[in-house]
Amino acid sequence: MRKSLITLILVFVCSLALIFITGCAKEQSVKGDVGLTQAQAQPSAEEVAQAEKEAALREQALKEQTLEKKMLAEAAAIQDIHFAFDNYDLKPEARALLGELADWLLEHKGFEATIEGNCDNRGTAVYNLALGERRAEAAKTYLANLGVSNTRITTISYGEEMPADPRNCEDAWAKNRRDHFIVFPNK
Amino acid sequence: MRKITGFLIFLLVFWCSSAACGKVYIDINSPAFQKFPVAIPEFKNLENPGNEKKLSTWFADQLSHTLKITGFFKIISKDAFLEDRNSSGITTGEIDFSDWSSIGSDFLVKGGFSYSGKNLVVEFRIFDTIEGKLITGKKYWGKPEEKKTMVLKFTDEILMALTGRGGVFDTKIAFVGRKGKHSEIYTINFDGSDPVKITAYNSLTLVPHWSPDGSKISFTSYKDGNPDCYIINPASGKIKKISSFKGLNLPASWSSDGKKILLVLSRNGNEDIYIKHLDSGNFQRLTTAHAIDVSPALSPDGRKIAFVSNRSGSPQIFVMDSKGKHIRRLTFEGSYNSSPCWSPDGTRIAYEGSSNGRFQIFSIEENGGNLIQLTFEAGGAESPSWSPDGRYLTFSSKRNGRERVCVINSNGLNLRVMPGISGVESFKSPSWSSHLNLY
Repeated sequence: MRKSLITLILVFVCSLALIFITGCAKEQSVKGDVGLTQAQAQPSAEEVAQAEKEAALREQALKEQTLEKKMLAEAAAIQDIHFAFDNYDLKPEARALLGELADWLLEHKGFEATIEGNCDNRGTAVYNLALGERRAEAAKTYLANLGVSNTRITTISYGEEMPADPRNCEDAWAKNRRDHFIVFPNK
Repeated sequence: MRKITGFLIFLLVFWCSSAACGKVYIDINSPAFQKFPVAIPEFKNLENPGNEKKLSTWFADQLSHTLKITGFFKIISKDAFLEDRNSSGITTGEIDFSDWSSIGSDFLVKGGFSYSGKNLVVEFRIFDTIEGKLITGKKYWGKPEEKKTMVLKFTDEILMALTGRGGVFDTKIAFVGRKGKHSEIYTINFDGSDPVKITAYNSLTLVPHWSPDGSKISFTSYKDGNPDCYIINPASGKIKKISSFKGLNLPASWSSDGKKILLVLSRNGNEDIYIKHLDSGNFQRLTTAHAIDVSPALSPDGRKIAFVSNRSGSPQIFVMDSKGKHIRRLTFEGSYNSSPCWSPDGTRIAYEGSSNGRFQIFSIEENGGNLIQLTFEAGGAESPSWSPDGRYLTFSSKRNGRERVCVINSNGLNLRVMPGISGVESFKSPSWSSHLNLY
């Protein structure tokens, strides 16, 4: 039901595009010379079949792309999880969010995730790189415990170097002590 | 990169009153140290008195500037000067020392210049105004554009005569400069001159550490995606990747022979301290605790390593031997202490610790005694690094919300904020070089 609706929409979009393209071509032929009219010969049956085949393939690719984009959009909506100062324990709300992410990853086997561990800018840059790493690893371990294969998750720490909010106040610091998730289709 | 010139200066004459020579006046590192009051009148044009007023003023101003930077001198204001410039000269017999001692100037620097062909010849003398005699004097001969080098050389002579040791004007500080989401390594001279951009990777590039001979800088960069460790030769720009395990590859101190680098790797999902042997390329693991172990600092004699670990709950500084054994905790005050750095004489460790919600720089004896808080900055202070003579520390501190590189004397006085660099928004993680023979 839903599939046929998408197809219908796609056909509609494609025909709109066609009208638009021919519209442009027309305008061109008005200005055109003799050579242009010569090129407008009747296509053979073979050529028509070939064109139809290509159009079907394009449509299929477009469909897949739309689907992938939709999934990516869903994946991009995965929220950051937050941590207490100088701490890499997962809070209950972080565990809930990771549970959702685990479900999604288990459902979509064709995707992988990178977890970026971050800190607020208090304390040493070097210690914060280690702390960011621990935060990312904590999430990775949690996902692994929920059945997401280790090979699908990579971690990287940016320490205090990539703040979500560059201000120096408790609000900003709380936002910056986070794991950020990037989900992408595996190659 | 800028080519180092300045070796064309020849010393023609050396005067030294034998009584004053090598005499160390006061312990300049004591917190009770009172700055040397010194007057520096305009230099004399010895051939055409009154001509080239600008150069006369330049020498006095430049020498005042460099002496002030050392943190050991109080420059007497020109407005207080009593001396009649026309009747006085630049040698002992031509100076009425009471003109200077009476305005509180215990020391007086006099100078004069002339030309020999295209070369500038400059004489400098420093006098003790109380005893009314010459302490030391030098005459330099060089190209006019080498005049700043002459001033720096005589500043060294003054420091040598009054404190028993020369200055650190031939050192540089390397640091991280950040703009937007990118950071690069820069260097700047001790006096804040000659900023140089060392890397240009448009990535995150962090934690520079000078090699002991000053010919290389180690750092971490995300330029290939992962935080890998590199060594760069700042003169040639040539780089070499020395560690690229998955996870962190963070360089820290070098061994004094430059053949080993301490670094932190998280290849096993656990941050531990390793030694990288640069000749063989081998890694030697020193710590194995499940805790975070970072920021290793090798003592100057190479026998001990101070490092940061959260093995007791919060980040604290520990000391172990160079094989990773005999670990003992050094800091007990405060809930967050990190970034240890040994003083060049190996007696003290500077570090940053939290104090009333801000980080400040402290120093502590290697055995845990005599803890001193060195900074009281409203914008906090992080990542200390000692000058090679142990007389200064550099660190980063927030000024108007942005981090800047600062320098203080090791007694905590004479704070100086390094000048900014156009297009760079913030500065951090300073590392002080050894003497580089810049002039």
